[in-house]
Amino acid sequence: MGNLFPRWTNWLPLKLAVCLGFVGIGAVVGATYYLTPKYYRVGYEPTQPVPFSHKKHVGEVGLDCRYCHSFVEVSSHSNVPTNQTCYNCHGPDKGQIKKESEKLAMVRDADKTGIPIQWTKVHRTPDFAYFNHSVHVNRGVSCQNCHGQINEMEVVKQAEPHSMGWCLDCHRNPENKLRPLDQITNLTYKPEQLNRDTFYASLKDKGIKEDQVVKTLLGLKQEDSLPADAPKDWGKVVELAAKTYGPMVTQKEVGTQLKDHWRVAPPETCAACHR
Amino acid sequence: MKRIWHHPEPLKTGRRYWRSIAEHENAPEFQEGLGREFDPSLEGMTEDERENSRRDFMKMMGGAAALSGLSLVSCRRPLAKVVPFAKHVEWMIPGKPLLYTTTIPRAWGATPVVVTTHEGRPTHLQANSLHPLAGGLDIFAQASVLDLYNPDRVKTLSFRKELGEVVEVEGADGFKKEGPNAGEVADWARFQAQLADWSKAWAASGGEGLGLLFNESASPTQARLLGELKKALPKVKAYSYEPVRRSSAAVAAKTLLGDGIKLLPQLGKADIVFSLDCDFLGLDPQSENGIRDFMKNRAPGKASDKMNRLYVIENRYTLTGGVSDHRKPLAASLIPLATAVLADEIGKLTGDSALSQSALSLVSAAPADIRPWIAMAAKDLFANKGKSLVLAGSTYGEAVHALVIGINNALNSFGSTVDILKVEPQTNGTIEELQADLKAKSLKNLFVLTETDPAFDAIGFTGALKDSGAELVYLAQSDNLTAKFSKWTLPAAHYLESWGDARSSDGTYAIVQPMIQPLFGGVSANEILLVLAGKKELAPKKVVAAPNATPAPAVSDIAYESVKETFKGIAGGWDEEKWNVTLRDGFLAKSGYEKASATVNGGVIAGLVKKVQPTIAPDKDSFEVVFTPDATVWDGRYSENPWLQEAPDPITKLTWDNAAWLSPKTFRALGLKSHRYENSTIKVTVGGKTLEVAALECPGHAHNSITLPIGYGQKQANIVGKERGFDVNPLRSSAVDFVLTGAKVEATANLYEFAITQDNYTMEARAQVREGTQERFAKNEKFAATEGMDSHIPPTNLALYKGRVGKKQDKNPEAEDYNPEGFDYENNHQWGMVIDLAKCIGCSACIVACQSENNIAIVGKDQVRRGRVMHWIRMDRYFATTDSVDTDPGLNELENPEMVHQPVACQQCESAPCETVCPVNATVHTEDGLNAMAYNRCIGTRYCANNCPFTARRFNYFDYNKRNPLIETELPLVGKVRNLYAGPLGEKNPQEMVQLQKNPNVTVRMRGVIEKCTYCVQRLEAAKINQRRAARDDASKLRIAADAVKTACQASCPAEAIMFGDLANEKSTVNIWKENPRNYQVLKYLGIRPRTSYLARIRNVNPEMASVETDRVRKTGEASLYNF
Repeated sequence: MGNLFPRWTNWLPLKLAVCLGFVGIGAVVGATYYLTPKYYRVGYEPTQPVPFSHKKHVGEVGLDCRYCHSFVEVSSHSNVPTNQTCYNCHGPDKGQIKKESEKLAMVRDADKTGIPIQWTKVHRTPDFAYFNHSVHVNRGVSCQNCHGQINEMEVVKQAEPHSMGWCLDCHRNPENKLRPLDQITNLTYKPEQLNRDTFYASLKDKGIKEDQVVKTLLGLKQEDSLPADAPKDWGKVVELAAKTYGPMVTQKEVGTQLKDHWRVAPPETCAACHR
Repeated sequence: MKRIWHHPEPLKTGRRYWRSIAEHENAPEFQEGLGREFDPSLEGMTEDERENSRRDFMKMMGGAAALSGLSLVSCRRPLAKVVPFAKHVEWMIPGKPLLYTTTIPRAWGATPVVVTTHEGRPTHLQANSLHPLAGGLDIFAQASVLDLYNPDRVKTLSFRKELGEVVEVEGADGFKKEGPNAGEVADWARFQAQLADWSKAWAASGGEGLGLLFNESASPTQARLLGELKKALPKVKAYSYEPVRRSSAAVAAKTLLGDGIKLLPQLGKADIVFSLDCDFLGLDPQSENGIRDFMKNRAPGKASDKMNRLYVIENRYTLTGGVSDHRKPLAASLIPLATAVLADEIGKLTGDSALSQSALSLVSAAPADIRPWIAMAAKDLFANKGKSLVLAGSTYGEAVHALVIGINNALNSFGSTVDILKVEPQTNGTIEELQADLKAKSLKNLFVLTETDPAFDAIGFTGALKDSGAELVYLAQSDNLTAKFSKWTLPAAHYLESWGDARSSDGTYAIVQPMIQPLFGGVSANEILLVLAGKKELAPKKVVAAPNATPAPAVSDIAYESVKETFKGIAGGWDEEKWNVTLRDGFLAKSGYEKASATVNGGVIAGLVKKVQPTIAPDKDSFEVVFTPDATVWDGRYSENPWLQEAPDPITKLTWDNAAWLSPKTFRALGLKSHRYENSTIKVTVGGKTLEVAALECPGHAHNSITLPIGYGQKQANIVGKERGFDVNPLRSSAVDFVLTGAKVEATANLYEFAITQDNYTMEARAQVREGTQERFAKNEKFAATEGMDSHIPPTNLALYKGRVGKKQDKNPEAEDYNPEGFDYENNHQWGMVIDLAKCIGCSACIVACQSENNIAIVGKDQVRRGRVMHWIRMDRYFATTDSVDTDPGLNELENPEMVHQPVACQQCESAPCETVCPVNATVHTEDGLNAMAYNRCIGTRYCANNCPFTARRFNYFDYNKRNPLIETELPLVGKVRNLYAGPLGEKNPQEMVQLQKNPNVTVRMRGVIEKCTYCVQRLEAAKINQRRAARDDASKLRIAADAVKTACQASCPAEAIMFGDLANEKSTVNIWKENPRNYQVLKYLGIRPRTSYLARIRNVNPEMASVETDRVRKTGEASLYNF
């Protein structure tokens, strides 16, 4: 009986295995890239029924986010404004701004008929995840942290993946994002713009003691004891901060101070977002 | 290594707790089901079949998976819309619930509630804790929110030319045949035109022939509008009725004390209460706060605390009987005699010979064996004169109530435990008067403005209606039997849709405030009165919306204006602020009835008593039949509510049905069978009428007595309520007789399947209730915590399941309590719960409250039978008897066992057995001690449910929310199958109306997911978030105030038996309760440290009663002791 399989088939299993290995690796790499929100969600930029420009209203006119998204500080939802909000400025019998604009015809119609405009949702949270805006914006997380540079967007698009891993990144290390409460809706905020003296004075005003701030600066826990040479007055504290973080205020500096003294401990258990 | 856990031997306390007859007898079918999550026999498959079906399933799923790969679904992201309001809506903040107060009008008063609304949808009810009478919510009030969203409500007007259940209709083939009487759809204008015709005639005749039928209610606006209508049309007749309450108590009070008098028992002030078949803690409430006030005095914190004592005589077990310290089963037909004996005894003790005399005619007929028990109780009542109270069931006649007034008078109860209040005299006619007027043909038009279905529940109504010539206009929630007899059926507004008012039992004035526009354009009874008075038009005027026109000024709702008008009268003039405060708080402060002084005219009692024919005790040839309201559908008015249908009866644990309740002795004497709740049916013949009804063995029931809960078996109903159980009303002879004697009963060969929840989730038959007499409590306050092995359990974690336990202490490694892995009490909240078994009456309101808050699905009778009921709280009902090891194992034990209820939900174990076995981390522990569920992670292995010693986990076998479990689907070739089993061919009916009730803060679970109680984690998270939001940068304010957050079950509990809070906050009330000496943990020996603990129940027995309680079996030689 002759050889049923030619000689080259001896290597076939190995070749196949190597090939399948590559295919497998390719599939995994492909899936991790293409099948994650980072790829398929970021950049979603649907056309809205009324070409409302955040760039114009926020970036140029300088409206605060809360002018329209008025309940963001009290509710889980950040409300999309009622038509009345638009009409107050653009209505022919109200603010009269661009009162005859073609683009605003829908706003005027909606006011007349009472039938609201249907906006297209950009950021979508799954039904089983319960996100709460109010607790974030009241505890040092800015609009910009999740929604990006809205002030530069002609049409709003999704800037961040809003995936669970992305949420947890910040919940595990909130110091990378926290900022003072008066900067929450400041979309052009940079920690470098902060004045170090004012920042530490604001902590002092809240009744936070020098040694607490020093412990944070030195990377100690609040229950640890201070080294003997630790600075004792606020002037020295600011000097120590400058020594630690350089001449400009940094995010790390602001974030760690706020995290420690506001006792920001974002929950990492499932029940925080899933019920 | 497999470790086998050896459970300690059950405790030999001489007392045994059991849940079902099968458990009591240790029947093989009960043993078989033990230790299994579900009763295998009910699956209807053998082990082989199951194995085969599993393989078939794998084959099919493999094929399906391969196929689904071929047809890739669209990967495009679905376009979602955001639709804000066009104009701001006052108070509306998207994402935040709005709370409003309102009131549920009830037969005995008005239940004050707070309604949670989400974007305008009412979703959940809670008791209004501001109200002076706020006492939780009962099961019906709690479930009533779902009635609003009943998809089968009457939505349009209908007009019927012909009346009756079935009429001649034209069939598809063109021939006339019998068919359901659907009527024709009409519009409001047509009705208004009809009304205009009638009005002309009424105006001419002064309202001759116009009648109005109401349910009993204390609505000042209704009374005022009716008064005004009567002024305009003096010949209008009004009637009111309640299907399961009689006016006899009011008649007796009127006869003995004078007109315009209301007697209101003050249960909180009574030390000794004697109930003559008055289920005041259950289906015969006397006031809104009765349960709260009564149970408050039954939960001693320490041995020296005073407790009240309850004596109950009744024919069947009721919730009140379950709470009682001494209970005697007695045929209901003998209750008048027992009342007379009690009156006689009290008369003798107090020296009120007139009272004894007046009872004489019945006393002489009373069986001798009831006297010793009653006499001993009477002694106790007399010893606590001035602090004792006697109550009689509201279905008994005038004589019983007159005697009770006499007894209470002799005991000096008036002014102390019974308030005499001055009320408006009742002027409406009774249902008997209505029937007489109908028969006399003196009514031409009858407006039926009831919540109930008089053709179904008022016996004799349809008979009287026939040939009376009266045309009915029916304001109906449901297309029920009365609708079939009505010329006109109008859609009725739910109380959450209409303006109105009511007075609670003490007279406090409260507003019924609408939460939502009528969903189906319904109108309220008040609006009908306004229409009849010509103040409102029902035909809506068509508004032509002219472009650019300024909107017409809003026309104020006349129903709203009329309530304001009434308020003006009651508050003594219009005061805008007072009105707003009343609306906000839900009631008008200090508006209760005034106290009156009245003297009892004891002379008339004898006359009333003499009218009563004494009955003899029922025997096997002459049964008695007792009609009672049903514990879940009341008189039938809630039969369209699936939550209530599926809520187990607190006593029998029966769902979706009613049954004939019999004592075990009678049951067996009749030769009836019960095997895995396939029960024999019986034929009951009384008064020439026969009914076949399935029988149920009920321990503690009187012999030769049959209890038939009414309200079931409606033929004219919708999918939820139609033909469930048995319609027992045809047996009744009149609308006011609830006890019939001389019934013949025979067994049949037929069997009927019941869905009873009690043998599901048995925790391997380990009884986990602990109780003791007050004597035992006085001897050893911590008896419950040290019972059995509990005092020998070392403090270290011996559990199989490692995890964080106890309080974190990582500062001092030397200290004994060093525990770096523990729960952080300093920075986190630590949730815990205590349930007081001494206060819990088992009413099951918590089950429905939980269902409403947590979007728990109903599964239907068939699934309940398979043990798949979804309730997160299981209300275990235990009977307690002497341990039959050393005494008579026969039926005597079932004569009069005691009853204890224990609600069991997830106990939030610190080292939870369920968590370690989850392969996907779908159930994990939170920092604040919750055993959390991530539903979207669950893959449905059910390992956790298998490993839960409390069997507190529930599995979604089907997509109960998407597929209606109550219907059948017609499949090609196969025929009709249950919808759930029709797979993808089944009707997929997401029931949009019902979805409106869902709580948006809780995930709606789908098929294949385990669910369970999480201490209402959505409320906890909301509270924490609110606290942090308010604290902002102030780190000192991060802790929620003590007791600021309540779970749904806690808020609903009318007895305040559930206490929940932050264990880490020393100000929390829950900590006080955890310190209570009665506190114990269930299954403590497992070492899994549940966060929920229980307080042992204490019974305040009267030691003297032991000698007369002959029906309670005790250990040999201990006949005169209460040794538990």
